[in-house]
Amino acid sequence: MKRRGRGLACMWYPIGFTVAANPSAAIVKVNEDGTVTLLTGTVETGQGSLTVLAQIAAEELGVATDDVHVVSADTDTTPMDTGAIASRTTYVTGNAIRLAAANAKAILFEVAAPMLGVKPEQLEARDRKIQVQGYPQRNLGIGEVANHAQVRMGQPPLGSASWNPPTVPLDPETGQGKPFSTYVYATQIAEVEVDDETGEVAVLRIVASHDCGTPINPMLVEGQVEGGISMGVGFALQEEILFDAAGRQVNPNLTNYIMPTTLDMPEIEVNIVQSYDPTGPFGAKGVGEPTSVPTAAAIANAIYDAVGVRVTSLPMTSEKVLAAIREKRAQGAAQLAAPRT
Amino acid sequence: MAEKRRTDQQERPVAPARPPLADEHLRVPALAPAPAFPVEVREPQARQQTPAVGQRVSRPDGRLHGLGQTRYIADLALPGMLHAKIKRAGIASARIVRIDTSAAEAMPGVMAVLTGREIPVNSFGPSLQDQPVLAAERVFHAGDGVAAVAAVTEQIALDALEKIVVEYEPLPAVFDPVEAMRDDAPQVHPPAGNIYATKVIRKGDVDAGFAASDRIFEGQFRTQMVEHVPLEPHAAIVHWDANGRVTVHSTLGRITLGRADLSRTLGIPFNRIRVVATIVGGNFGGKNEITQEPVLALLSKKTGRPVKGVYSRTEEFIATTTRHPIIMDYRTGVTNAGRILARKVRLVLDGGAYCSWSETTLGKACILSAGPYRIDNLHAEAFAVYTHKTMTGAMRGFGAPQVCFAYESHMDDIAAALGIDPLEIRLANAFEEGSPSPTGQALHSVVVKDTLLQAAERFGWKEPRS
Repeated sequence: MKRRGRGLACMWYPIGFTVAANPSAAIVKVNEDGTVTLLTGTVETGQGSLTVLAQIAAEELGVATDDVHVVSADTDTTPMDTGAIASRTTYVTGNAIRLAAANAKAILFEVAAPMLGVKPEQLEARDRKIQVQGYPQRNLGIGEVANHAQVRMGQPPLGSASWNPPTVPLDPETGQGKPFSTYVYATQIAEVEVDDETGEVAVLRIVASHDCGTPINPMLVEGQVEGGISMGVGFALQEEILFDAAGRQVNPNLTNYIMPTTLDMPEIEVNIVQSYDPTGPFGAKGVGEPTSVPTAAAIANAIYDAVGVRVTSLPMTSEKVLAAIREKRAQGAAQLAAPRT
Repeated sequence: MAEKRRTDQQERPVAPARPPLADEHLRVPALAPAPAFPVEVREPQARQQTPAVGQRVSRPDGRLHGLGQTRYIADLALPGMLHAKIKRAGIASARIVRIDTSAAEAMPGVMAVLTGREIPVNSFGPSLQDQPVLAAERVFHAGDGVAAVAAVTEQIALDALEKIVVEYEPLPAVFDPVEAMRDDAPQVHPPAGNIYATKVIRKGDVDAGFAASDRIFEGQFRTQMVEHVPLEPHAAIVHWDANGRVTVHSTLGRITLGRADLSRTLGIPFNRIRVVATIVGGNFGGKNEITQEPVLALLSKKTGRPVKGVYSRTEEFIATTTRHPIIMDYRTGVTNAGRILARKVRLVLDGGAYCSWSETTLGKACILSAGPYRIDNLHAEAFAVYTHKTMTGAMRGFGAPQVCFAYESHMDDIAAALGIDPLEIRLANAFEEGSPSPTGQALHSVVVKDTLLQAAERFGWKEPRS
């Protein structure tokens, strides 16, 4: 018989490296027409980070994402970056880019101030314009200012900056300190169906509520959550590298190392929880790794809810679930058969 | 759009007419048909909007992926490029007595062979430099590379690997991390002991916390070794040019560290190395350090030609990092109302043959192991242990998915025994704004309760069950 169950798991996860310095540097150049070239040493690994980083530069300079071209991942041309690791790109590289863009913007403001007859600190960059705060009708196009800066004033508007998350080393005896600058939080709830005759588990639905600070690009956050859950489902139910007695892997191929396919994927509902981190770029933290953290725990608790057995090791294969169900039944039968005293 | 496409087709040169052949449908076309897509890109509105933050902006690389125009390493070729393959040990623990590469070198099409002894500095690693580029004297796990071949085709390189003779003297091996912790266990990296990293967190007084608890719960949880399985395997093209400058196109996710590792292993200055990361077909933590790049560089130096290496799927499993299996012991003291008063955690991480990113994983696993809960009395200790197995390293979550499986399974066991709803017991213990973390850090922008309540609301947790 197929039995349904539901399980809940929450988690916390840090952004960046444990105490060790993990800086990022960035260079932002505003071209003569107001478009922008951004140089970063990070690598696009499929998560869409370069798009998010372009959005951060665009926001600081008051232009649109499409105005920013990102040059990345070349040690000859791009500034150092600790890399696409530890869910740190949006937070750490993003902060460096925001600062670099602010430095380029300061040159634009310095050049635009006498053109608009105000002080640089009275200006703001919005909608591809440099304008007087509170008087948006007094404005110049960002391209006009950038061109003036470079061609007339001899001050090309470019900025560079670096950023490293502040941490405090941990005491070796007690582990007390500040290992990370910030953390994100999440809860996933899984609904499963367990066949109590075969032990087979089908994950029907996962509701995922994730905190990432300000979602710079909600669509890419949703993509990360869905991808993370697919890894979590494989970790929970299917994937396992097996070794023979001599320490050699016996299933190093995709025929015998079973991963979830689209057919194994549950219905996913992504909920981005409203949050703002004042230490992140425009309030953003990160989202990459945490998305796959609570999935296995939520599924384990859902199996427990469905058939009353606790599987304590991953992956929770049909064999393990069925063995646990049989053991529970045997215990129940033994209790029934025990003579009354 | 449709009109433009038709125009494109009209402008294409028309092949002279000929009668169709009987087996036309079976023949491979001599030239791929010209792609029928508009070159004028009309950007979606979100990309043009200000302010930029918060927009559902599409990715500029998405269009190229969709049209099949993204060039991965496997799609790239340089003139005169050779193909490299690496011979794997196939034995978990051994001394290398002798390597005979003469038969392979004599094969037509084989341009160079490389062994570990020819590598200037044959060790690397992000915290401990315990990993050889190619095993030279000793094999530490079955996936270790022992020799490499560069040949004019991939198949010749593979055939040449078969001709390389390696004589091993088998050594004692240990595969279980708990056994590896014993004093009499075979040492993976003698004279160093097998426990190569430890982490401790002590907060409050656990014994007093347990004494004050109404109930104490215990549980042991275990997780397995898994692979990242990126669609694109580890791949690189390296060219050592006539100026002695090394250009590396690679799937590396961390080029800054990659260049440092290349400088160390090749023994040349940073400014003679250029690392370009191509668009990566999946990383998930598995492409955070060098693998075959120094081997390809030295084969290129020997031959004067660019050398390409693409790992097979089997190599992805046996010769790259994997996720740490962890044995997790939990002991938790609670009040009858479900408030956690004390927790003790012990983690044993199977580190495999090399440290790689184990220290980071150990630290994160240990700090996170208490869960997102206010626990005044905590003692967590964690050990990373060498075994003669595939190395474990960085993988999405750095130990967090493992400990979350443990602390959240344990939490539901406690809730069930006390008759408390799983949502309520978590809300009663969860961090709040300003709560001290296990390391005594005052936490900010804490929304764990919001995630719990919003997920429960969306799921319909409180609705009556059928």
